[in-house]
Amino acid sequence: MDNVNETDTSDLALEITDLTVAYDNKPVLWDIDLNVPKGILLAIAGPNGAGKTTLIKAVQGLVSSAAGRVLVYGETYEKNRKLIGYVPQRGSVDWDFPTSVIDVVKMGSYGSLGWIKRPGTKEHNHARDCLEKVGMLEYEKRQISELSGGQQQRVFLARALIQDASVYLMDEPFQGVDATTEKAIISILKELRSRGKTVIAVHHDLQTIKEYFDWVTLLNVRLIDSGPVDRVFTTENLNKTYGGKINFIRDITPGQAVGS
Amino acid sequence: MSPHEIEIQIIAILVASSCALPGTFLLLRKMAMMTDAISHSILLGIVVAFFLIKDIASPLLILGAALSGVLTVFLVELLNKKRFVSKDASIGLVFPLLFSIGIILIGLFAWNIHLDIHAVLLGELAFAPFDRVYISGTDIGPKSMYVMGSILLLNIIFISLFYKELKITTFDKNLAAAFRFFPNMLNIALMTIVSITCVGAFDSVGSILVIALMIVPPCCAFMLTKSLSKMLFLSVLIGSVSSVAGFWVANLLNANIAGSMAVVSGVIFGVIFLMAPNNGLIAIKIKKIKQKWEFAENLLLVHLINHEGSAEYEDESKIEHLYKHMLWTPDFASRVISTSKKKGNIEIVDKCLYLTDEGRSIATASF
Amino acid sequence: MEVLYELLFDYTLRTVAIGSALLGIVSGVLGSYVVLRRQSLLGDAMSHAALPGIAIAFLLSGSKNSVFLLIGAGLSGWFVTLLIFTVVKNSKIKFDSALAMGLSVFFGLGLVLLTIIQKMPDASQAGLDKFLFGQAAALTTEDIKIMGVMGGISIFLVFLFWKEFKISTFDPEFAASIGLKVKFLDIFITSLVVIAIVLGLQTVGVVLMSSMIVAPAVAARQWTDRLGLMMALSGFFGALAGVIGSLISSQISRMPTGPAIVVTISFIVLLSILFSPKHGIVVDLLKKRKNRDSMRLDAILEELFNLGEKHNDPCYPHSIKLLKIMYSNYTNFEKNLVKLKEKGLVAQIEGDKWALTDNGVIEVKKRGFE
Repeated sequence: MDNVNETDTSDLALEITDLTVAYDNKPVLWDIDLNVPKGILLAIAGPNGAGKTTLIKAVQGLVSSAAGRVLVYGETYEKNRKLIGYVPQRGSVDWDFPTSVIDVVKMGSYGSLGWIKRPGTKEHNHARDCLEKVGMLEYEKRQISELSGGQQQRVFLARALIQDASVYLMDEPFQGVDATTEKAIISILKELRSRGKTVIAVHHDLQTIKEYFDWVTLLNVRLIDSGPVDRVFTTENLNKTYGGKINFIRDITPGQAVGS
Repeated sequence: MSPHEIEIQIIAILVASSCALPGTFLLLRKMAMMTDAISHSILLGIVVAFFLIKDIASPLLILGAALSGVLTVFLVELLNKKRFVSKDASIGLVFPLLFSIGIILIGLFAWNIHLDIHAVLLGELAFAPFDRVYISGTDIGPKSMYVMGSILLLNIIFISLFYKELKITTFDKNLAAAFRFFPNMLNIALMTIVSITCVGAFDSVGSILVIALMIVPPCCAFMLTKSLSKMLFLSVLIGSVSSVAGFWVANLLNANIAGSMAVVSGVIFGVIFLMAPNNGLIAIKIKKIKQKWEFAENLLLVHLINHEGSAEYEDESKIEHLYKHMLWTPDFASRVISTSKKKGNIEIVDKCLYLTDEGRSIATASF
Repeated sequence: MEVLYELLFDYTLRTVAIGSALLGIVSGVLGSYVVLRRQSLLGDAMSHAALPGIAIAFLLSGSKNSVFLLIGAGLSGWFVTLLIFTVVKNSKIKFDSALAMGLSVFFGLGLVLLTIIQKMPDASQAGLDKFLFGQAAALTTEDIKIMGVMGGISIFLVFLFWKEFKISTFDPEFAASIGLKVKFLDIFITSLVVIAIVLGLQTVGVVLMSSMIVAPAVAARQWTDRLGLMMALSGFFGALAGVIGSLISSQISRMPTGPAIVVTISFIVLLSILFSPKHGIVVDLLKKRKNRDSMRLDAILEELFNLGEKHNDPCYPHSIKLLKIMYSNYTNFEKNLVKLKEKGLVAQIEGDKWALTDNGVIEVKKRGFE
């Protein structure tokens, strides 16, 4: 993959080499080499079962890998865990759990607090700031089961913001959210980028990749290509990724490079 | 073997078989814990029916028990509809309540009659031969044998009549509904059958061990086969074997028969869980270890082909690279390399690895 | 009053009541996690699986000392739980089937051991039977002390690891991502639940213990959306049921304590499901009804308005006979007209004619029916 040459190693937020993950010895990710420079918005795209979520999890050691190395800011993820902020899929938790919006946001501070210590006033205020950023401050005392899908996603985002990480990993942050929330989320992501943070998001909607992201990683068990959207997001690459299964690619890709 | 012992074993086989048949469907429908609920709450049905009929030997008690079994299912479903009450919680709420009411009623009003809670809970198969049926003065055998025989017959008839319907409602409830097989009706029917079987079995093995006979043999069979009909057959077989073996173990230790039956069935499951040819723990572990090596060999080839022709190929194909970037231990890596070399998939030149044609075609094939 | 006097000064009753209350608190608090983790039936399996442990502890120590027996119970309950998870993890057997197997097989083993013990030459019945149905009346001050200390420690640990338990229950994946050992926490919580169950065996017995774990938590969940409050309430409900149950059983002869407690806590669940102000069925029904009623009233206003428009006068009076024929399919049409009249939105004119008032017209326009 020639993206290796595009950046200098000291500028990398994430350096993945030869990452292979298998469930029951069936490969879900095959020998992935991926370098992510600091301060970009990166979309991970690919068909269902391409291993997008697995990649996000493997980076944090949430699934064990058969081979490969992941460095976060030049160190192993165990060492630099506090530099990672994580937004899991919304559907992965029980929204009937008896807790409030502000409480969920405060959970983002648990990692830096360490064992036993409880969040205090500082964390509370910080959580309120983060809720304000995602436009959810008025819901701070709301029970989480009373939120819409978009609101749930914003709460998850606020929980990641309070982590004050350098690299944000987000699993389908736009899944099932309304248009307003989508716009709100993307403006927050852009704000993160302006502060030098790196955002890596699994993204389904090919039509908005060009508009929302700087870089794109095309994945289908193997890495198809990764790099700046202008270079990578081509009809040819998309056909390789999706196996020519989606005809609508042509509809959204006038000319050679998509949206170029 | 004394005639009593033979009779006890026949009854045990009848009980085990009647339990294993509906139990198989409960297992597949993920309703195993429903047996726990039903087998407890039928106590209430029996007690209430007894108050109405005032005859401890009346077959109508079975009806009462069956009704309370269905009532349990109904209450569980009803509670489950309430927000914040999950299915397992509603089971855990309903049956202790019904069972408690049953015990309280016995304690308050029926304490002087023979409705021993211990017997209900624990059962005593050893006494089964003493309750006998006489036709015009002739002894034709123990009553439980006839009761359990009829229940087994009922279960066989039910399952063979509705085999296809049960199968489809178990695997695809929506499709079954589309075919107008009335999955809900069938579910109620199955629960009625389970309740009736519980009452019958309850007398001889007690309410808690009914669960063992209903669920453990089907679990064993489930580990061994994928076909539903084979699973039913195997369940009956394993249930019968554990009940007869359980009887002899109990005899040997001078212990509770029902308890030994449960333990033997548990041991059989343990053995199958460890040793089953395809799904057993040992087989799985061996397969996994073997696959792990194969997978690693494959991975090496894929890694090499991925970087073939690129500028940094020499770096990527160095043996040290495998330790540093793939995080393989030197032992692991050298074993993978030597097997791959033996198989003629790679060549080593100057500590660099190169694919042979054969290796290349294997790597390409694994995409 | 007499009951209260007895509660304070009757040694047996006081001991039973305190014991049941303690049990209620501990199982209520830990039960909250069990219910939230959707493992409600695990408690049932654990309590049944404790039986062989009790028997083995007796065989090994030869004593009826509660501490030994409880340790045995705890170890075997814990062991079987791990076994259940091992089976689920390593085979295609589902969780509920594994529970049913663990529960029944190890209960069977317990029975086998108990019958062997009973038939041993010098073992007097051993009093192990009491663990089946519980025998609250046999609780001693010593037992209460054990319950107090063990229960106290468990609740303290829940408090200490509050945020770790909470996040690993709500979002285990996120918990792992911030470096928490989720598997360890799972086993930790499970162990605390085993303690709660073991403490209850003497009071309510193997069979009914699951109710003490599940019911208080389900009841408490109906009243609050806060985890802390839910646990406190759950403990309170458990204790309340314990005390009321032991009082009932002391007042009615031959009323067993365990079942009395279970019926009481179930009654509390029923009340909570029906009447809790947040999620109660009654409140829900009232809300729905109010909505439906106001929708019906709105519909009538709108119809009257449209009808009036045809006469170029929204306040045009319509004969009741005509209205009744036109709106014969409306539920409680006349009654609702009267309701609207009471609100001043509709007026009765010349006895049998009805018309919108000015206020009524404003109301219709405000709702944008035009």
